[in-house]
Amino acid sequence: MANVLDLRRRIRSVKNTRQITKAMKMVSAAKLRRAQERAMEARPYARMLVNVLESLVRRTDLYNDETGDVMHPLLVEREEKNVLVLVIAGDKGFAGGFNSNIGKAAQRFIEERRRQGQTVDLEPIGRKAIGLYKRRYPAANYERTEEHYDNDLATHYETIRHRAEPIEVAAEHSDLLLKATFDEVAKLGRTIVERYERSEIDSVYIVFNEFKSVLSQRVVVETLLPIKKLGEHETTSLQEMTDDEKEAAAKAARESGVSVDEAETTAMDEEAKKFGTADVDYIFDQDPQQLFRNLMPRYVSTQIFHALLESVAAEHAARMTATDAATKNAGELIDSLSLTMNRVRQAAITKEIIEIVSGAAAL
Amino acid sequence: MADIGTTGGKLAVRLVTPDRVLLDATADAVELPSSAGYLEALYGHAPLLAELGAGEVRLHGGAAGEQTFFVAWGFAEVLPERVTILAEEALKPEEIDRSQAEQDLQGAQRAWQEAGDDGQAYDDANAATREAEEKLASAK
Repeated sequence: MANVLDLRRRIRSVKNTRQITKAMKMVSAAKLRRAQERAMEARPYARMLVNVLESLVRRTDLYNDETGDVMHPLLVEREEKNVLVLVIAGDKGFAGGFNSNIGKAAQRFIEERRRQGQTVDLEPIGRKAIGLYKRRYPAANYERTEEHYDNDLATHYETIRHRAEPIEVAAEHSDLLLKATFDEVAKLGRTIVERYERSEIDSVYIVFNEFKSVLSQRVVVETLLPIKKLGEHETTSLQEMTDDEKEAAAKAARESGVSVDEAETTAMDEEAKKFGTADVDYIFDQDPQQLFRNLMPRYVSTQIFHALLESVAAEHAARMTATDAATKNAGELIDSLSLTMNRVRQAAITKEIIEIVSGAAAL
Repeated sequence: MADIGTTGGKLAVRLVTPDRVLLDATADAVELPSSAGYLEALYGHAPLLAELGAGEVRLHGGAAGEQTFFVAWGFAEVLPERVTILAEEALKPEEIDRSQAEQDLQGAQRAWQEAGDDGQAYDDANAATREAEEKLASAK
């Protein structure tokens, strides 16, 4: 049996661990509150952008009268041969099943697409997602060619993609989550839109952890392109929270003072809904068609931005729940170790007394 | 026309970015950098939707005095008593990072040189140049 000294040492070490997990929980709770706020503050813009688009849709013909062609390339639905999948996970671990759940859900989705004979491009966002695919699938191979015309007066650049495997990692985004600025997301959005317009990819999906509130989260796959209906997120749930998970999350949230309710709609949200929808005949400063063309790529970027912000909030919520459980486990371990230690100590004392008593009796 | 008495003839002005609501104030007049040139909206302006280019949004006669914001691409909705500006990027003059803007300008000019025969690249480079120039112009 372990001696008292060893036990005491173990208890001290577990206590330290508990202190660390407790601190991590506090930090995650604070970060979660901040992330929730950010997601809230981003809503008016997204809502207004959709309103302007809808208002434009009502005013312009989306289809050419004569040929019946769709007027914007992002609305074109093609047969899905090449699929782009954005996978958003976290930058760090210690968040319970957060990263592995997303990984599993994404894997199911990818395999299903493969069975249908489609080629899949992956763009992992967040270090954990990148790590997941780095070894499993090869990186895409690009070749940049240069051609000179007219005695070097004009140069023509072209980037050619050499596809070797049906599933490849097209690009990695390791620092997108760190700041999660719209600027960076817009850059990503633009490249995706360009590839879609060039028919390099026929559809774009985004796998991420949707976050409505601490109690309402799920891993979903959302269709980003082609755009079927403006302002609506066409999502398929891949994994819901179990009741146990909900209970653990609720407990962690309660203890850290994080609200478990869905964020309320603010006055600004109400205002945002009205943007561009007043029942008047607007003067358009520019040609509606042109406006529409400029707006569409931005719409895609706001969709990605929205997914990113929700995923960040979900990651902090997951870490908060995980560290809360770890803190609780540490507490239980300390209790059971203290009990054992007291028992061992008592046994030693009893043994000594017996020795003394029987020694005295033998005299 | 609109009833001037109810809001004292002041325009309610909002500036919204992807991150947050940057400004919620009132003013007598707002200048907007529409992509086709500057336009100014006063109380009672006819309903208008305009795309914004890179430039300065200027508020006149607001409670906080004259205010300017640098915006890079956005949308403005003008209603008789309200102006709402959606800006992809919006900064106060003192928030502008001059050295960064200068770098952007150089980068854009380089991109213009390297654009070759790619029309899209030219347009992008021109837009980036304009944005950086406007940003430098409105920096304090």
